[in-house]
Amino acid sequence: MLTSQKAHGGRLAAFLLLVLPLAVYILVYLVPLGGIVSLSVDNRGLSDRFPALRAAFAQGGAGTADGRAAALLQDLAGLDAKARGETARMLNQEISGFRSLLLDTGRDAATIAPTMAALVAFDPRWGDPTYWEVIERNIPALSLRNFQKVTGLKTGPDGGLTIAQGDDIYLRIMLRTLVIALQVTLLTLLIGYPLAYAIANGSRRLGTFILMVVLLSFWTSILVRTTAWVVLLQTNGLLNNLLLWLGVVSEPLQLIFNRFGTLVAMTHVLLPFAVIPMMNVMRTIPAAQNQASRSLGAGGVETFLRVYFPQSLRGVVVGGGTVFILALGFYVTPALVGGPGDQMLSYYIADFVRKTLNWGMASALSVLLLGGVLGLLAIYGSARWVMTRRKEGV
Amino acid sequence: MARSIFWISTVLCLAFLALPLLLVLPLAFNTSSFLTYPMEGFTFAWFGEVFGQPSWTKAIWNSVKVAAGAMALAVLIGGLAATGVTLTGRVLQMVLSALFVSPVVVPSIVVAVAFAYAFGRAGLSGSYASLVLAHAILGAPLVFLSVLTSLRGLDPDLDRAAASMGASRLHRFRHVTLPLAAPGFLAGALFAFITSFDEVVVALFLAAPESTTLPIALFSGLRDRLQPTIVVVALLLSLVSLLFLLAMGQMQKRGAAASRN
Repeated sequence: MLTSQKAHGGRLAAFLLLVLPLAVYILVYLVPLGGIVSLSVDNRGLSDRFPALRAAFAQGGAGTADGRAAALLQDLAGLDAKARGETARMLNQEISGFRSLLLDTGRDAATIAPTMAALVAFDPRWGDPTYWEVIERNIPALSLRNFQKVTGLKTGPDGGLTIAQGDDIYLRIMLRTLVIALQVTLLTLLIGYPLAYAIANGSRRLGTFILMVVLLSFWTSILVRTTAWVVLLQTNGLLNNLLLWLGVVSEPLQLIFNRFGTLVAMTHVLLPFAVIPMMNVMRTIPAAQNQASRSLGAGGVETFLRVYFPQSLRGVVVGGGTVFILALGFYVTPALVGGPGDQMLSYYIADFVRKTLNWGMASALSVLLLGGVLGLLAIYGSARWVMTRRKEGV
Repeated sequence: MARSIFWISTVLCLAFLALPLLLVLPLAFNTSSFLTYPMEGFTFAWFGEVFGQPSWTKAIWNSVKVAAGAMALAVLIGGLAATGVTLTGRVLQMVLSALFVSPVVVPSIVVAVAFAYAFGRAGLSGSYASLVLAHAILGAPLVFLSVLTSLRGLDPDLDRAAASMGASRLHRFRHVTLPLAAPGFLAGALFAFITSFDEVVVALFLAAPESTTLPIALFSGLRDRLQPTIVVVALLLSLVSLLFLLAMGQMQKRGAAASRN
């Protein structure tokens, strides 16, 4: 009796405590995130302009030809010049030539008799089923139009998927994002490993000192550290002046607004995220193992390669994974030190919102980025689960 | 040979990590307006310029206001969430913890777009409230983790002892659990404050000209023209981070001393 009352009280207390945080998280966080997922497939901008045609297509069997023609004319007559222009522009992205067809038909919609024969007589292109298929594909309230544009994939007349030449711009940007993230990951691991090693195995004073520098860097804003690199790398900046003074180069090098600057600054900014996990793992490697290996006759380098390094790999994987995932979504650093050819996916997301207010495309790219990050986390989580199970010998 | 490899690699990597800020930040005191060495003379003039320009002072004030508001809200929701999940069953605790921590892993550009659209539709765009709400969501996971860690570290016997003496659940929470978990709340509050104070991407999408925060002002300054005032602002932001780290260090020291007693 007493225990059930206690458990009941616990549940009530948990409920009371969690109501407010859950409400805030749902309203301010989950709903906005869900909002961009639905925005990415939201086609109401186009579909709301064809209510009659939508009804005609929904009737099954796509209705009769005359029914479709009448519905199209009715919908077009209902649009003002501006809406007609926007619609024509959107459909023209699917087949070129649709723009003039829709604009001409729309202008005279009131005068054309509502039959297919009259429509074809007005413009023979309406006799071509391709145009009708494009309309049918593009008027549902939900569509993958944005994702098609992002991937450059188009449904051909036979229903198969093709990538048109030059339409793969976002695929290339995604590839570039992956490549930069991978390069930065390798660089941070390369530079971070000796630091983590020194913290874990150096003298106490050295370890504390390096850890302080790493933590200070970790908590210094990304923007401040990027600022430092802008000042260092600019054409008449510190690094170029040093190189000129040393006589290494005769004229300033272009160090900023290119891939070099992007990689250097991003590596610097993300370095602590690689060092801290590696350090944590290295601290658990018993020093006695190294001594044992040395006493059995292995040299310092061999001991490191065969005894120490394999055990530190877990930290390398965690650190590298963290850096890679963070690098995928980077915006500030490439935007400030990169050139046009070094911008990552985030830059184009920001661009769609800030320049053209194209929320659909921004959302579609965001959904892909988020999906990529969550997918990587899922892989990482399950790998860890498998590893711990194996260690437990289950 | 192993020793020389150790020292050379350590020194080089440490230099890469530490030198950029060590070299650049002193230029805030350089008399010349060119951001390079050798320094021509020592001056505080650029500081005067930053504190004399309304665009910078307003941004500083906005940042403090937003960070304070975001911190308060993050401590409230993160603290409540952490206390609440300790009372739930194992599965629910895992699911809820994943939810409460998740804003940390979502790329900031994605939450920025989501916030910008949602707040725009709610009629909050550009407002102080939108920045506080967004930054509170970014800070809440840190409060959550920090409070949860300190709650889990508590000795359950203390709560049981209080219960055996007839203290009610609420009384025990207020007079036993909360004071013992206070360092977790305080650390979480500091995390939330600094997260908001340094945040760029979300603020870039939400801030209107009147609600511009210091990082946004610095970001646009960098894209506009490089001048010593920018280094001054960078130095000020680093000082805030340094203060934060010192405060955390103090708290850890005190926590260690308290647990020893």
